[in-house]
Amino acid sequence: MIEARPEGAPGTVGERLYRWLDARFGVSKVVEFARHKEVPVGGHSMVWYYLGGTTLFFFAVQVVSGVLLLMYYQPGEATSYESIRYITTKVPFGWLIRSVHCWSAHLMILSLVVHMFSTMILKAYRKPRELTWVTGFVLFAIALGFGFSGYLLPWNELAFFATAVGTDSVKSVPIIGQWLLEVMRGGPDVTINTLYRFFALHIVILPLVMLGIVSAHLLFIQVQGMAPGMAHQRPDRPGLKFFPDFLLRDLLLWLVCLILLAVLVYLLPYGPGIPGMEWELGKKANPLAPAYPGIKPEWYFLWVYQLLKEFPPHLAGMEGPQAALLVVTVLMGIWALVPWLDRRASKGKPSPRFTDLAIAAIIFMAYLTLKAWDIGGNAQPGKLPDPRSTAWVCAWITLGIASVIALVRLLAYRQRWMYFSGAALLQVVLNGVFGVDYLLAGAVAVVVAVAGVVMTSRKDPAVQLGVPK
Amino acid sequence: MTAPVAQSVKPPRRSLLNWFLGAAIVGWAASVLYPVLRYLRPLGEAGAGGPLKLSGDELATLGKSHFVIARSGTRKVLVFEAGGDLRALDAKCTHEGCTVQFVPGDSLVWCACHNGKFDIDGRVLSGPPPRPLAKWVATREGNDVVLTMEKA
Repeated sequence: MIEARPEGAPGTVGERLYRWLDARFGVSKVVEFARHKEVPVGGHSMVWYYLGGTTLFFFAVQVVSGVLLLMYYQPGEATSYESIRYITTKVPFGWLIRSVHCWSAHLMILSLVVHMFSTMILKAYRKPRELTWVTGFVLFAIALGFGFSGYLLPWNELAFFATAVGTDSVKSVPIIGQWLLEVMRGGPDVTINTLYRFFALHIVILPLVMLGIVSAHLLFIQVQGMAPGMAHQRPDRPGLKFFPDFLLRDLLLWLVCLILLAVLVYLLPYGPGIPGMEWELGKKANPLAPAYPGIKPEWYFLWVYQLLKEFPPHLAGMEGPQAALLVVTVLMGIWALVPWLDRRASKGKPSPRFTDLAIAAIIFMAYLTLKAWDIGGNAQPGKLPDPRSTAWVCAWITLGIASVIALVRLLAYRQRWMYFSGAALLQVVLNGVFGVDYLLAGAVAVVVAVAGVVMTSRKDPAVQLGVPK
Repeated sequence: MTAPVAQSVKPPRRSLLNWFLGAAIVGWAASVLYPVLRYLRPLGEAGAGGPLKLSGDELATLGKSHFVIARSGTRKVLVFEAGGDLRALDAKCTHEGCTVQFVPGDSLVWCACHNGKFDIDGRVLSGPPPRPLAKWVATREGNDVVLTMEKA
């Protein structure tokens, strides 16, 4: 117990420094806190506790590689594209730094999305961790903002149209839409002024906001500890010491992430070549060129992109895109408010409906994403993919994935409440297999989901489903 | 001063002061925010929508690929040749603002972003665009092509 000794007592340099700091800042209180910090064990697999850490790791890589890119990058009509080309072709290891930045961005979003879905399925958002969920949701939104704003900076063709479409959608916002559009673009259209604004957003504004909210997110976790498993699934097991047991595992995983990153960067410096996951520089942006065939946004925006395609020109007195974005906003709002909507989980009771909601969200987005990739559309040069056969193939793939998930849930976890995921799958099958209009199929699915909720709450108010007896 | 009198007078005076303080804070915040918000919205660009003459390069592109996109102020105009006629439409898709192109083989105007299709008069044929493309008038004057906005 070194902290028990007085400040002037003899000891090694390290001990004396520690006592010097302790006398001034009370470091021993922090050490005492760290000594007792534990990670809950036994509720569910430990894997899910590491994903916030890996997201943070990739964010750190983004900061470092981003700062390095900034040493050569010059925003400007005649310099943005040229400086990125210079970085990737002339600067020693410039290709490496840019590729690390791109790969790590995708891996960060991937890690974040898996972290978010695991939090959702394990109900880690439940009382008292509502604000940890909300800050996490805001971080998710900021991460998407990072992806979107960073996309424009190379000033190539893809960047130009992705930004044109993405910013155009804000005009749907009631009242302030046009103002917001012009503020984002620095004018009525996407020009180099837009790039200046996105540059400021990407390297100053978003990092500052991100840092603040990450701090709050981490502070909440320190104060409350990591969420243990739900009462009905938690056997009494001693927790895992954070220092050093969990931290060392964390660091080891980060090392694995770094190696993975290095391997990917080395083997595929320009990405895997899947639409929405490639970063060949391509042609310089030309505001007077038409959008080229096969243009797609990043993979995590594909479901919104496809939804924009599925909506008709007009719906319920709104223009199609406005209605589509309203649907996305409502879905996102529900997602953000889940800790308050899920009353059963906040009382510590099993809430199979919200487990199923997460699965339904996965099915919903998977089908749209597969469609956006035109899988099964038989696209040939000069010939557009056929939307009918795309829908057919994608529906069967989604059906396969969803069946496997449902079987695992049923057999391994004895979950039975599947009205939401069933409804989501119904929409997929109606649209893809039977060719029913996407929105009509969606309306049928909503009716089925609501009916499921009403039926099960009347039959069994305790909703005992999904609980192994 | 007796205690009951002080109690009956103090709360209204305090709430009035609080109200003044609140109003002052709101006023102060507005006076800080307004210039910032106004600063963020850029000035409008001048010179939009006037008659436009295609340049030599643009005419060459038009001859080669049957269409060209020209800029008139802040607007982009798609000029194309369909059935021997020279036509012009707004080049900005009414769906999500991508730039459209003319497909000579199918004689239609197409947006690659979300597969919106228009006929050569700008009417929506299929896909998600909610409105037709605005028409421009393209006229040949000698060797030149001049574009003017069609009066609504």
